[in-house]
Amino acid sequence: MKFNKQTVLMLIAFVMLPSSVLAAPQLPANIEWLTNDTDKVFSSPKATKGGTLKSFLLSFPLTLRYVGPDANGGFRSAILGNKMSLVASHPNTSNLFPSLATHWAYSDDNTTMYFKLNPDVRWSDGKKVTPEDYAFTLEFMRMKDIVAPWYNTYYNDEIGEVVIYDDHTISVSSAKPRPRNELYSHVSINPTPRHFYKDMNGFVKKYNWKIAPNTGPYQISKIKKGKSITFERKKNWWAQDLKYYKNRFNVDKVKYTVIRDINLAWEHFKKGKLDAFGLTLPLYWHEKAKGEIFDNGYVNKLWFYSDPQKYAFGIWLNQDNPILKDRNVRLGIAHSMNIEKVNKQVLRGDYSRKNSYSSGHSEFTDRSIKARKFDLKKADEYFNLAGWSERGGDGIRVKDGKRLSVSVTYGSDSHTPRLVVLKEEFKRAGLELILRKMDGAASFKSALEKKHDIWWGALGGGDFPQYWGTKHSTNAHKAQTNNFTNTDDPEMDKLIEAFRSAMSTEDRISLSRKLENLIHHHSAWIPTLEVPYSRIGYWRWLKLPDVPGTKIGGPATAAFDFGSSFNTSDGGMFWIDTKLKKEVLKAKKKGKKYDPVLTVDKTYKISD
Amino acid sequence: MSLFQLNPLTVKKINRFKSIRRGYYSFIIFVILVLLSCFAEVLVNSRALLVSYEGSLYFPTYGAIIPGKTLGLDYEYETNYRDLQKILKEKGNGFVVMPPIPFDPYENDLRDGEFPPFAPSFEEGHYLGTDTIARDVAARLVYGFRTAIFFSLILLVVSYLIGVSIGAAMGYFGGLFDLLFQRIIEIWSNIPFLYVIMIISSIMIPNFFTLIAIVLLFGWIQMTWYMRTVTYKEKAREYVMAARALGASNARVIFNHILPNTVSIIITFIPFSVASGIIALTSLDYLGFGLPAPTPSWGELLSQGSNNLESIWIVSSVIVAMTIILVMVTFIGEAIREAFDPKKHTTYE
Repeated sequence: MKFNKQTVLMLIAFVMLPSSVLAAPQLPANIEWLTNDTDKVFSSPKATKGGTLKSFLLSFPLTLRYVGPDANGGFRSAILGNKMSLVASHPNTSNLFPSLATHWAYSDDNTTMYFKLNPDVRWSDGKKVTPEDYAFTLEFMRMKDIVAPWYNTYYNDEIGEVVIYDDHTISVSSAKPRPRNELYSHVSINPTPRHFYKDMNGFVKKYNWKIAPNTGPYQISKIKKGKSITFERKKNWWAQDLKYYKNRFNVDKVKYTVIRDINLAWEHFKKGKLDAFGLTLPLYWHEKAKGEIFDNGYVNKLWFYSDPQKYAFGIWLNQDNPILKDRNVRLGIAHSMNIEKVNKQVLRGDYSRKNSYSSGHSEFTDRSIKARKFDLKKADEYFNLAGWSERGGDGIRVKDGKRLSVSVTYGSDSHTPRLVVLKEEFKRAGLELILRKMDGAASFKSALEKKHDIWWGALGGGDFPQYWGTKHSTNAHKAQTNNFTNTDDPEMDKLIEAFRSAMSTEDRISLSRKLENLIHHHSAWIPTLEVPYSRIGYWRWLKLPDVPGTKIGGPATAAFDFGSSFNTSDGGMFWIDTKLKKEVLKAKKKGKKYDPVLTVDKTYKISD
Repeated sequence: MSLFQLNPLTVKKINRFKSIRRGYYSFIIFVILVLLSCFAEVLVNSRALLVSYEGSLYFPTYGAIIPGKTLGLDYEYETNYRDLQKILKEKGNGFVVMPPIPFDPYENDLRDGEFPPFAPSFEEGHYLGTDTIARDVAARLVYGFRTAIFFSLILLVVSYLIGVSIGAAMGYFGGLFDLLFQRIIEIWSNIPFLYVIMIISSIMIPNFFTLIAIVLLFGWIQMTWYMRTVTYKEKAREYVMAARALGASNARVIFNHILPNTVSIIITFIPFSVASGIIALTSLDYLGFGLPAPTPSWGELLSQGSNNLESIWIVSSVIVAMTIILVMVTFIGEAIREAFDPKKHTTYE
């Protein structure tokens, strides 16, 4: 058979036809595009550009990658802060606002969000961000080469697919339906530069010190290995004039210097070599933050209330332990834990008692639940009910020749004083608490593997309360899960499953409150303290907006919190007055005084 | 015949040691301190020495706790004797005798409205102040000393037993055995000691004895080299040959004949090993890899002190105590070395 040119072309066209039809998916007809240009901005119009923010790191990061081995260090938030997502959440109202996408829409089945991409978005190397870069994110995160099993599983099991409609429209779907206000946190992904990750073979080593292109306001400009890392503001950042990004990210450079000792860093701060320093710890706020630089007004102090940290701070009692299996023992422990004394006499009453599991999650919290108070009489009753009524020679309760002795595993030296006081108080109730201090990672690992009796620690929460990982029976009695209490209760399981599948906010709120009550009833997780504020010292030349922070993001300075210099949803609100800086330094030399400034901001304080 | 008939040479050495005043007095003071620390409960304790309550006497120092109820108070847990002292004084139905330092190294003497660390105060009974959790610095210093010195002594005995035996065997047998152990020791001593300890104590919580075992893993090496050399030398002497000719077993030759002649080397090293044992424990505690909290220890005090330089009494107490102990140990070591100096005495002609 002989082919002429025409037949060949026709054949090719015929072969291509179906694929080109598949390659152009259609947007649903009844799509309702949303955007947000009505929420209040949280930056200050008074902000000016310029200056260098000097911050510090306690250790040099082990990598500049944001995934893979060793990537999970504190420095990662500085890198992630400059990786923008499709939409951002307003730090005061929690409404979405445009980021890489200008508009968004929801599918009817609550699995998919559609996005209209901002055509101006550029990578830091000047290349255009394409829809393929979003599709590549999924591909990238699912690769075995990145050596990040958690991300592999998450992107496989939780995220569906990216569909490209045209050059400026894509959709991202979740693997299962989710309530609308939760859906975005899964599908608002960030793009990954396909042109940069050309050869993924040996990714971990190859990209360890490579600076990846990003879309945020800053990019790393200088690295002195082991010594410092400098970020520089992009001169013509594509988002600099957009409503929610204007007057933010003002300093020209952010320089992180490695200072390996916190006491040394404090001395650097006092000399003005660091611009801000976290003073949340009572010792710093009350004792260390004194002296000339504070009295003469060179350094200002800020006490900023925001939403309490959404961490489940507490002690997690392992119910597989023969002693802690008994609910009466757990209630006895709850009543003999004198956390009030710790707060009052060690932490200067600066913290507040956490009351329920999901406190800090606004309506999802049942405010009527109050943590059990220290009461030796009640503790005695409960311990007696559990059969621990006799006391041994050392004052510790005994039953059938066994002592009422449990260990607490924890991971931070700074918490030893708190536990030492608790230990002495427990002793009065006839309970021996053995302190097992491990390094942070080892302590967490021991809890993951359920090798603990009691774990003292906190679990970070998302924007919404989460119960499945920590309380559902599928995660009990096995290693590498977050069910540190080994909670295994059919009633709890039913509620959790209902909570997870509920779509309406009202249902979810009522279920969350029920779950909180059940957790309180079990008393296998006993709440400790929470800190509903941040405290910061900053040099006078560092300027903050009139409301010096946001409800979710906390205060507007970058002291310990690397993210807050960059984080595109709530960071970078401060600026440096370079003229004032010279003036203050001169004044300090000559001993000229200013009025000291102490700001206590309660705009976002939650009153009980 | 007297019970202790000492070799005239030994008597000479002892006299020589005694004549070196600062070493001799350091030795006496040091021994007294160690002995006193064995009875620290009597000197430094929150439990009373003696309670007289409604006609009956109680000695709470050792043994089971006496619940508050027994002494007319309204609680089940251990009596607070400092409070009891005040109460009985007011009521007049008894009295309490407290130890000179009436605090336990573990208890927190917290107060309302004030925050630790508290400065030294004679009124409160905190002669050296308190640490950051309101525990008495003097009490922690005393109990910390006891822990450190016994740690160091036990470590010394065990590591010398191992080190001396292996070293002597290496020197005595020579040949392949010697060669093999030399290489093993070389490899072993190249393992970074501190890292191993850090790794071990981050995965398990060491207690007193496991910590000794860990330090011992590397601590026995030093002695082997010295013993090996000395034994090599002694082995060639006639008395060894004579003993062997008489049919003495290897163990008998090593332990009954060679060892007594090398004892001067061993003894000279002892004080310095004691000092290094104390330093090892203190530095491990300082770095947070030592004994678990809340065990009283010098290293922990040192680290608290250096983090709270404003509260100068913490760091100064422990530094002064450490300096005094280490200087005394060095004086003793110096005197022993002098007394055993072979230039003045030889064990054979």
